[in-house]
Amino acid sequence: MVTARHPLRWVAVAGVLVLLAMAASALITNPAWEWEIVGQYLFAPSVVRSVVLTLELTVMGIVLGFALGTLLALMRLSPNRLLSSVAWGYVWLFRSVPLILQLLFWYNLALLYPRLSFGVPFGPALFDIGTMDLIGPLTAAVLGLALHQAAYAAEIVRGGLLSVDHGQREAAAALGIPRARRLLRIILPQAMRTIVPNAGNEIIGLVKGTSVVYIMALPELFYQVQVIYNRNGRVMALLLVAAIWYLILTTALSIVQYYVERYYGRGRA
Amino acid sequence: MSGGSRTVRDRAPGDRALGDLVTGDGTAGGHAMVELRGVHKSFGPLHVLRGVDLTVEQGQVTVILGPSGSGKSTLLRTINHLEKVDRGSVRVGGRLLGYRQVGDRLHELSEREILRQRTQIGFVFQSFNLFPHLTVRQNLTEAPLSAQRRPRAEAEALAARLLERVGLADKADAYPRTLSGGQQQRVAIARALALEPALVLFDEPTSALDPELVGEVLEVMKDLARSGTTMIVVTHEIGFAREVADTVVFMDAGLVVESGPPAQVLDDPRHERTRAFIGKVL
Repeated sequence: MVTARHPLRWVAVAGVLVLLAMAASALITNPAWEWEIVGQYLFAPSVVRSVVLTLELTVMGIVLGFALGTLLALMRLSPNRLLSSVAWGYVWLFRSVPLILQLLFWYNLALLYPRLSFGVPFGPALFDIGTMDLIGPLTAAVLGLALHQAAYAAEIVRGGLLSVDHGQREAAAALGIPRARRLLRIILPQAMRTIVPNAGNEIIGLVKGTSVVYIMALPELFYQVQVIYNRNGRVMALLLVAAIWYLILTTALSIVQYYVERYYGRGRA
Repeated sequence: MSGGSRTVRDRAPGDRALGDLVTGDGTAGGHAMVELRGVHKSFGPLHVLRGVDLTVEQGQVTVILGPSGSGKSTLLRTINHLEKVDRGSVRVGGRLLGYRQVGDRLHELSEREILRQRTQIGFVFQSFNLFPHLTVRQNLTEAPLSAQRRPRAEAEALAARLLERVGLADKADAYPRTLSGGQQQRVAIARALALEPALVLFDEPTSALDPELVGEVLEVMKDLARSGTTMIVVTHEIGFAREVADTVVFMDAGLVVESGPPAQVLDDPRHERTRAFIGKVL
């Protein structure tokens, strides 16, 4: 019997193990990490509240972003030149301007339009409202995140729709299946195989991306730990608290993504 | 096989042939299931159909032969409005396909009306085009449920009967990818039949199959022909044409070169081009 020997592999394994042990030791033995402080703040009510707000911003950003993104993707694929141009223009604009700038723009919209009115276009207004009253920091944050996200979502959904074999559309059309049903029952579920992994990236990106809204003094996770360490000076410990929460959130999302991908992969070897 | 015993209906002598550009006049005469008159179709600079006339009687099996690029598939696709014709008319069951005639002008039908017309016409693709994320049963019930709004129990009972008929009763819950090519095409035929169409179109149904799987698909098609289904089949299977077809149509360069009973077109073709083609494939 011949046994394969991999002496170099064993050396590499030993080396990696030593490095891991050193890293663990550096984390545990250095008192400057202040693990007891980390433990003390990890589940502090103000921190947990900020985690909830982070989650809310993520969910609203993704749901609204992908809803608008799907609409944009369908417009972009429309044979109508005006619709596809508008969708193209939207993606171009909102992908080109940094998110932080967009957020500040929505936050300060009142400087441009002090009052917003709703009614007949170019006609009489039914009611109007002060911009500041309508768009508070939270609305500005959701608006900014969702509109920015929609530009990326549009491209992801468009890519997914294009990845579905043309024969599928033809078969569905030849069977006389109504247009909306064709999209929802035949095309989109197959497009999801391509959409989900990319959307997973986007959602995980957005969980962390919500930290940008700290500039609007919204008490999401990153802002909240800054508030705390500015008060007590435990900078590293509180940054670690934030890092641990981001890890937990993204890990949970990765697990969900695994099952969603498996669902949409059904019927494929 | 009793498929060859079917009678060939008498038709007027003098087959519709080259350059006959007569356009359809009002209603279809007799009981023609399909009637094409002067059908033209171009893709950009490519003139694929150059004035095709074709009549298929109810219950007949018509096999279209011809070299690749002769317009066979495009012709088939105009018969369920997957391709719009540039000129000429397509009638199915005496009714203009895809358009409504008002006076001497044609108006395109609404999407819904076109879809309703399509539910009367089954289409079997070369590459099956089964829906991979749906089970075999769901593939069969989708169109009856959503296009014909039939009750679920009825659609499922019909699906079960059709799967029995194509010999795949035990595969109802399988996903298409787990089946062989021959089985997938049999499912695709059952799916087309689930609409209980008056006409079934086959676009090279065995061309994507391994040679040993061709037979099982042809068997299902022969069974269908025996049951009196009107069929138009684009294929290279000369044996199938000889055994099952009532009419063989030979196409070349976007035109019907000749058509007639298989014995005549296959064994004693009148046109040089037909003779050259048959000589090569036999």
